[in-house]
Formats: sequence, structure tokens, C-alpha cells
Amino acid sequence: MSREFIARHQRARIIAALAEETAEKGYRAVTVAHIVKRAGIARNTFYENFGSKEECFLATQEFAMNTALERVVSAAGEIDDWPQRVRAGLTAFLTYVGEEPALARTCMVEALSAGPASVRYYEESQQAFVSLFQLGRDVSPHGGQLPETIEEALIGGVFWIVYQRLTGPEASRIGELLPELTEFILTPYLGADEAGKVANGGGEQNSGKRRDRG
Amino acid sequence: MRDPANPSVDSPEYPPELARLPPGRHGLPREFVAHNQRERLIAGLAEAVAENGYAGTTIAHITRHAAVSRRTFYEHFNSKDECFTAAYDTVMTELRERVGSAFEQEDEWPDAVRAGIAAMLEFLASEPHLARLSMVEALVAGPVVVERYDEAIQSLVPYFQAGREGRPPEVLAGLSPTTEEALVGGMVSLISRRIFAERTEELESLLPDLVEFTLTPYLGSAEAAKAARRS
Repeated sequence: MSREFIARHQRARIIAALAEETAEKGYRAVTVAHIVKRAGIARNTFYENFGSKEECFLATQEFAMNTALERVVSAAGEIDDWPQRVRAGLTAFLTYVGEEPALARTCMVEALSAGPASVRYYEESQQAFVSLFQLGRDVSPHGGQLPETIEEALIGGVFWIVYQRLTGPEASRIGELLPELTEFILTPYLGADEAGKVANGGGEQNSGKRRDRG
Repeated sequence: MRDPANPSVDSPEYPPELARLPPGRHGLPREFVAHNQRERLIAGLAEAVAENGYAGTTIAHITRHAAVSRRTFYEHFNSKDECFTAAYDTVMTELRERVGSAFEQEDEWPDAVRAGIAAMLEFLASEPHLARLSMVEALVAGPVVVERYDEAIQSLVPYFQAGREGRPPEVLAGLSPTTEEALVGGMVSLISRRIFAERTEELESLLPDLVEFTLTPYLGSAEAAKAARRS
């Protein structure tokens, strides 16, 4: 094994350990000692990778948001029909959250009490999803008249709902949110009727602008 | 519209906690002074947090802004956290009363929503320090305050739920149990992002966008846009 491989692997293990510890104990209560123990590494190794718990936390947030975004882009990118694309992207996002509840809790719940840098990162990273939603203006009959901030508000709403579920007892049922969140996002662009059809798994025939299904 | 979140709201007044007693001898009764000291400490905390952020604020900062002694601080609060929580509750009570009373003054639900949002934006824009305290610093002030923050946001849900009343079945079919939560979450995220970026002066210009965003699920885009642009 190359030195680089080991280093990358160590970093990933530390990030996973921080997420698990944070989801269990809360950000404030977690110490570097907890992380080191959970990751099964030496204290020195931690400090070779990160300057502090705060730095490690930010790296964890960055890792999770990048992974989420990659998953969304790769799921949504294959589809031309915009409403279906939103549905696929949202499916990928909710699936990732469901697969990694500790990481999701760390980044969407604990991040809010982990200091100003984390809150800022949380707020800014939501903006990465704006362009995916903005494409809806081209298929909307009134796309030109939609409020400038609609994408920002829709994403804020989706994150808030997921955040609420992650703090409650229904965290494992995140995936069930798919139809209602799809409908919530699509309604301003397509109207409630069409949005409802797509949300419930239909609506392909009416939405035009799509390539051959193959 | 009846205020669905606060059934009995008194006329809104500026909270006494945020008023200040001029320094010096004043021959006021002891209880009044004690009450006023607490209010001054709360106002002092708001100023100190605006200057130093929550983490950077010390009790010395608070007592300096409040112009009271350290001992007086500990007569009222056990810790910085406790003082912050008191300040947070004061701001939220004020905000709730303003939103509730603006909402109540309108007969039609879409106008009531517009008035409630306008009242909220106006308060936050006119009090940038308190806006920051309640929407930004509250999040880093520990789990107790974060829980209160969540509750405060959720307490806005009934104002939107009131919009379901009398709506035709096809509209109701398009709403989910979480529609209102999502609307409130979206609205708050738009507001807090402006406060975070220290662009509080832009808050009031968000009014038409927020009205259109929140009314669309109930009225459809065209009607919501009309209500948003009405002045």
C-alpha cells in the first residue's frame, strides 16, 4: 500500500469517527480523544491530518456535502426531462441521508451549533443546488415571472424538513418524504396538478422536452 | 384573521426589557430597579453579542454594556447561557406579538399572511443586533437555545395552515402534511441567510418574493403573484 493510500484512508476513518461520535454525543461534548479512540488511530495521526476538532468538523461537512452533491448530479444528470430530473436528484439526496444517518445528523443538525464557520458552510452549501432547480424556469409556462429567490426558498424548505426528521424519532423514514418534497419543489414551476403527477411517479407523458426513453 | 398561534394577544408594545434606564441616582423603588437591571443586562448582552459574537462574549462585556456590577449580573443570572436564553425569549416574544397582531388586523387570509411577514421583516430590519442574536447567534448558543429556535420557527406553521380553510378539494389534495413546515423553513432560510451576510437592510425587499412563495401552494402561481405585488 502506498503512503498516499494510507493517508487518504486514515482521513476517511477520522471523518467517519467524528460523525459517529458527534451524532451520539453532540458536537460540544465530543473531544479529540473520543474521535481518536473511535477511529482506532494514534493521537499524533489525528493532528497530522487536522489542526483541531473544529477543523476536522469542517472537513467532515465538506466531505458530506460534496458527496451529496456528486450523488445528486450523477443521478439527475442522466435525465433530460426536468421534473423527472428533480425527482431523481431528490431521491439520490434522501437515499444518501438515509444511508449515512450519523453523517447527515452531524452536517445538518450538529453543524448548526458548531460555530459560525459551520453555520456559514451549511447555509452556503445549500446554494450549490440552486442551478439544478433554476432549469425549471425554462419548462415553466411562467418561468420568467417567478420570484428571483424561489430556488433559495425551496431548497431552504427541503433542508428544513430533512433537518426536522433528523432531529425527531422518524430519522430512518427519510425516504418517505420523496413524494411530498417533489411536489413542494415542482408546484411553483408546473402548478399543483402536474407537480402531483410527477411526485407520485407519473407525469412523464405531459412534460415534453425529453429525449427518447430508450 | 384570528391569530392561530397566539389566541389572545395584547396590543404590541416595545418590550420593556429592551428599554434602558438612564444611569445615576433616581430614587426608584427597589423592585423596579431590580427589574430594570435585568432588562439592562438583557440589552447589554444583545450589544455585547453583536460586537463579539456569542462565543467571544464574556460576562465582563455584558456588565460593561449594561453599566451594572458583576455581582448584579449574578443576582439575576447564573451564567452567560442563562442570560442569552432570557434575551432570546424576550426577542421572540416581541416578534411573535408583532406578527400575531399584524395578522389579526386583516380580514382575508392572503392579506393576513402578507401583513405578518411584513411585520417580521420590519422588526428584524429595524433591529439588526436583535436579528442577529435571534437568527444567527441563537444557533451557536448551545442545544437549549437551538431547541427554542426550532420551536419558534415551528410556531409559525399555524398561520399558513389557516390557509387550508375553505380551499377546494383539488387544492387540498396538492398539499401534504409537511407543506407548511417546508414553507416556514424556506422563508426562514431566506431571512437568516441575509442576516448572516450582514445584509439586514435587504430584508424588507424580500416581502413580495416571500408572499408569492408561501401563497402559491394554496392560491396557485398567478393568484399568489397578484397578491404579492399588491401594495
